[in-house]
Amino acid sequence: MAEDIKTKIKNYKTAPFNSRFPNQNQTRNCWQNYLHFHRCEKAMTAKGGDVSACEWYHCVYKSLCPISWVSKWDDRRRAEGMFPRKI
Amino acid sequence: MVAGASLLSSRRTSAAAMLRQILLQAKKHPSLIPLFIFIGAGGTGAALYLMRLAMFNPDVSWDRKNNPEPWNKLGPNDQYKFYSVNVDYSKLKKEGPEF
Repeated sequence: MAEDIKTKIKNYKTAPFNSRFPNQNQTRNCWQNYLHFHRCEKAMTAKGGDVSACEWYHCVYKSLCPISWVSKWDDRRRAEGMFPRKI
Repeated sequence: MVAGASLLSSRRTSAAAMLRQILLQAKKHPSLIPLFIFIGAGGTGAALYLMRLAMFNPDVSWDRKNNPEPWNKLGPNDQYKFYSVNVDYSKLKKEGPEF
């Protein structure tokens, strides 16, 4: 399973179709992957698992999200109590 | 004018009263029947679609505390759209690792 993920990350071209977001507006897809990546990172470091598996979500949100959004969310995340969801 | 007068005569607004009103009008002016059929079908269709949106749309969350991200309940094979042109939902799998 971990090898599977590593080959998927190596062969990554772009974000694949996601049945949760089938329409043209992919905002939520971008947001969900951003959240997933940071939650995955936090959970894996807490459990002592392999953080590099979370890289999949990182690749997907980098493909989907505008850079300005990502930098805004990163700033909000680092400031205490400013991020609208639990990470 | 005749239709206006008979509308004013029955003031109750329940669904049964409306149906009775429609039947009376249809008997008096049978050429109105196609109108009632189409308006009725359109109205029911709109109401049914609204119910589908309210109950099944993965973007809708009525209870924010217990159901904060309802779109995550859709599996990779679930199809919400009525008709999918290019995508074969049976071939999709879950992307990304569990955590």
